[in-house]
Amino acid sequence: MRRDFLKCCTAVGLGLAAPTFCSSERARASIEERDEPPEYGGPYYVVFNASGGWDTTYLMDPKGIDGINRLYTSDEIQIAGEHRFAPNQEHAQGGMSNEAFFAAYGDELLVLNGLDYSVNNHSPGARYMATGKLDSLAYPTFAALVAACQGASCPLAFLTFGNYSATGNLVAMSRVPYLPSLQRIANADSIEGNARSPYHEDFALERIEEALAERRSSRSDQPLLPRQERAENMLYAAQVNSKALKRITPFIPNEIPRQRLAQQAEIALASFKAGVCVSANLSIGQFDSHANNDADQMKLIPELLEGIDYVLRRAEELGIREQLIIVAQSEMGRTPNYNSGQGKDHWSIGSIMFLGPGIAGNRVVGGTDDGQFARPMDPTTLTAVDEGGIRVRPEHIHQSLRELAGIGEHEAAKRFPLAVPEQERLVGLWQGSSTGT
Amino acid sequence: MLSRSLTIWGAFCVCTLGVSGPLPGQEEPTQNRDEPSLPCPATDDASLRTFFVDQVWANVGAARCLNCHKAGGDAGDSRFVLLDPERAVEEERDRFLAVNQDQFLARTIDRDGGESRLLLKALGELEHGGEQVLERDSVEYRILLEWQRRLESPGNMDSPGIEASEPDDRESDSTAYFAGVTRLDDRQLLRRATLSLAGRLPTPAELAAVSTGEAAALDAVLDGVMTEESFYVRLREGFNDIFLFLGVDGNPDQTVISYEHFEQTRHWYQHHDLSHIADEDERRRAGYQLANDYRRAILEEPLWLIDHIVRDNRPFTEIVTADYIMVSPYTARGYGIFDELRERFADPEDPFEFIPVQLKALRGRNESENQESDTGFYPHAGVLSTFQYLSRYGTTETNRNRLRARMYYQHFLDVDVLELAARVSDAAAVTARFENPTMQAAECVVCHRTLDPVAGLFQDYWRHDPNFAIYGRRKEGWFTDMFAAGFEGEDLPADDRWRALAWLGERTSRDPRFARAMVGHAYYLLTGRRPMLPPTDLTDPLHESRRRAYLAQQRQIDLVTRRFIDSNFNFKEALKGWIDSDFYRADGLAAALESAEREAELIDLGIVRLLSPEQLERKIEAVFGQRWGRLTEQTAMLYGAIDSKEVTQRATDPSGAMGAIQRTLANDVACRHVALDFSRPAEERLLFAEVEPDVLPGDSAEADQRIRRTISHLHERILGRTDSPDSEEVARTYRLLSIILEDSRTRSQGEGREIYHCRQGLLREVPDPHYTVRAWRSVVTYLLRQPEFLYE
Repeated sequence: MRRDFLKCCTAVGLGLAAPTFCSSERARASIEERDEPPEYGGPYYVVFNASGGWDTTYLMDPKGIDGINRLYTSDEIQIAGEHRFAPNQEHAQGGMSNEAFFAAYGDELLVLNGLDYSVNNHSPGARYMATGKLDSLAYPTFAALVAACQGASCPLAFLTFGNYSATGNLVAMSRVPYLPSLQRIANADSIEGNARSPYHEDFALERIEEALAERRSSRSDQPLLPRQERAENMLYAAQVNSKALKRITPFIPNEIPRQRLAQQAEIALASFKAGVCVSANLSIGQFDSHANNDADQMKLIPELLEGIDYVLRRAEELGIREQLIIVAQSEMGRTPNYNSGQGKDHWSIGSIMFLGPGIAGNRVVGGTDDGQFARPMDPTTLTAVDEGGIRVRPEHIHQSLRELAGIGEHEAAKRFPLAVPEQERLVGLWQGSSTGT
Repeated sequence: MLSRSLTIWGAFCVCTLGVSGPLPGQEEPTQNRDEPSLPCPATDDASLRTFFVDQVWANVGAARCLNCHKAGGDAGDSRFVLLDPERAVEEERDRFLAVNQDQFLARTIDRDGGESRLLLKALGELEHGGEQVLERDSVEYRILLEWQRRLESPGNMDSPGIEASEPDDRESDSTAYFAGVTRLDDRQLLRRATLSLAGRLPTPAELAAVSTGEAAALDAVLDGVMTEESFYVRLREGFNDIFLFLGVDGNPDQTVISYEHFEQTRHWYQHHDLSHIADEDERRRAGYQLANDYRRAILEEPLWLIDHIVRDNRPFTEIVTADYIMVSPYTARGYGIFDELRERFADPEDPFEFIPVQLKALRGRNESENQESDTGFYPHAGVLSTFQYLSRYGTTETNRNRLRARMYYQHFLDVDVLELAARVSDAAAVTARFENPTMQAAECVVCHRTLDPVAGLFQDYWRHDPNFAIYGRRKEGWFTDMFAAGFEGEDLPADDRWRALAWLGERTSRDPRFARAMVGHAYYLLTGRRPMLPPTDLTDPLHESRRRAYLAQQRQIDLVTRRFIDSNFNFKEALKGWIDSDFYRADGLAAALESAEREAELIDLGIVRLLSPEQLERKIEAVFGQRWGRLTEQTAMLYGAIDSKEVTQRATDPSGAMGAIQRTLANDVACRHVALDFSRPAEERLLFAEVEPDVLPGDSAEADQRIRRTISHLHERILGRTDSPDSEEVARTYRLLSIILEDSRTRSQGEGREIYHCRQGLLREVPDPHYTVRAWRSVVTYLLRQPEFLYE
């Protein structure tokens, strides 16, 4: 019964929150659904957002010509395997240099250059990159979608620390801004979270849960407005699923790291390890370097890479590294020229990086030309071409991400189609052997 | 209704614009005389009109053409100039649509090479400033094709693949939309309204008053509620959610009250005489409190301006036109005007007593930083010109006030300028192709033509470090590589430059979009969400249903807007207009929905708002007489609150973390109040006036009745439900109470009294030998976890 019910519910996400057509199953099952949900065992998804627009020519798509970069020239471009990257060891302000990052992770890293964001503004750009859909406010972010499809009953299925975080009404968005907050919510039925001091005796709490389940079952027989139906489902799921949060406490570190991405990472990793979370949006801002581009990017890119490195190292320590898929992105790039304030303005061409199980590393696909314009890509070879080819846009990336996660045919995903023509799908993006230019 | 005249010449016709009223920039439509015109249908044809409004205008004209093809737009000097119905007052909207229909008609029948010029231009196959805007296989293009087909064959309205509602449907849509939707009665409505507006339950007198069913009675009660201080707390809180003033960066005694113009006074609190406090620690704490209150008062000033306007029933247009700001004794000291105002304050030491004041023109440390003013006063423009607004939405050398302009449009006209921009085939190439893309590239101009003139109106607030200054002119003069300062096609007169924001405020207050935007704010305050946006995904199979939902809500917005305007922009009338609507009363369905289409129509109906931490605390106080007090700071953030800086959107769905907090809340609030209530004299109890701990289920018929009446009372007080003592809902709760008592006899490990944590603060000892107090606590816990308590 539980399996059928969960299948029905997760067909559209919502944890225990079933859609109208699942009402009968829900009615039968709700009394049984009072126990905490099972542990989610991965894969886990982390989406890093360089919020504000990163300068890809100072990271994975180096130029060093025609005044595009003032901190290096083309002959100083570094190479690690198939990767070409900008040198920044001398200029990085803290964090992790490109040299160190590519040395550590180049073998696992897939880079796509020449991504066409299509817009030059933060808000639509962030939405487009997060969802794969430019002209709709209804679409869920990839992180929310994959959480809904793979672990909607997890109490913190989709964690977000910023950036565009729409859920498509599929799953609740969780914000846990402070590490100590996790401790507070771990034992909700005990006084001050102390498991030895319950508010109610076990039998009384059991009866309360039964009564709530019975009432919920009774409500499902009544016609409700769609908003009511959804809200009651979400609420019940939130309360029932929250019981699983007690699993987090063993994984909450004693010390809070200083770096902002590391703080976010610890919350996400503890939640992953406890089996209560599927995906997390990690974010740092201030990349919008309209003034003093180089100084800002030399501070922020190393900080971002340090954050990725932190997540991977801690995941290794926690034993979940092999289940961790990482996406690193931004909502736009920066112009190939400097403005009068030594800054760079918005540019609609950029890059994205991936790393994790199922992703063959040491690869670069797509590309930009010397002027930092996108080169069309042959979607079957993933190489940049002069004639024909397609402009790779966020919907192409999201189509591929859905395939990577195995959710392309999930009902929840099908509710938010990306409409990428078959002939434009990026063949072999995750496992192919193509190298772009 | 639409009206127009046509001149029909035989089998072909030339359509003239027969609509009364001027059309900006309009020329007579030119006809290529060598080309045969399409036969012109009678445009008062109702089906054609409906198709134009529902399909051509909604999905193509408004969405794809209007941004440029309007007066002041990039194509404002072309022959195809449209009117924006959003900028029309209600009764004018039909006329605007009629003008637009004629424009579309004229351009459709105008042919080039045998093909419609309109369609060719849309495809970019004829010279078109906007180049290609539609793909040949897009739904939008198919709509235009169908439009053309209908013009060619006016008798044949079959439309393969594209549907439009029948004309008559639109007239009766409002009734049809709410068919089968159940509504709150007046008593239930009042509970919802008083909790929402004032965080309290309705009084018996108020309930009695509205029970007459007369609309005036509800109106009068709401008027009373909106005089209460708690209403103004909610009002300020709600408007902070919109404007986010509390999220100003840094210490506001520095980033709002700037060094350049208030150097001598802004840090008055550092020298404030607290010597009357003898104890050093206490004096230090008082100093901290003084600074905190001062900073909070600075941030809240614009919110108190809104408070003042609403409280005094002033026209709400003053949020953009008021020639004053609100200051308190503390903030007045910061501006250096306290001494001249001292007598006007009831309590000169109250940090939060606010009065209206007109500031004098700013004087800088250097003469060059003095503010220009024809009157000698600061050119106030309501909220718009406050230092808080200008600091919260700052600018940079490259941003050039565009963020401010964007926020202006969003806050005061409900226009998301960024969404004006459509996808560009190659934005980077466009940017590189033009020397000045924002003035030359159509893809950029579409936004910047609107945005940049307003950005220019903020030009005198050109300092990038608010710690130093907010006011200050650009030494080189305002940028000439931007569209000049103005508003929607009207240039700012040079004489008005010193008061540019006041000039903008005057125009804003007259713009029909302003009233609708404020009605949208009222809706947000009451529901926690913005009005629906028009659906744009034409490939969505439920598009028509979503559009019907959107139109139903738009009709209500029209009604509330009319009431708002007719009351001389009294914001309370906007709130009452919503409260009195079916949208606010909708509370359920008479029968289950039977189609996905109907479900899509009703998808956004009903308040069903997850209460914010602040609202939940107020509700707990209303029901139990005391706040929980734990939905603050980090826990509040975890429960979906905002910090007005990084987190600016409240959570609308409960996560597992929030579910955990709800469990704790239910456990703890029940723990605090059940035994406490029993410890009171019966006549003073809020929860258990009819029962004592020795009243047990099954003891007697009378005991059972008292227990059932108590449960019924708890349902009403905690959940707002009216369940009779013999209802199934009451029976369920009764069973819970009974079974816990039964279990307790064999399974309880406890003593004959409440647990230690739950017997704190009792007015007298409350023994619990029968476990009834703890069982009632379980009942209250059960009720507090239900949606009727946690949602509005």
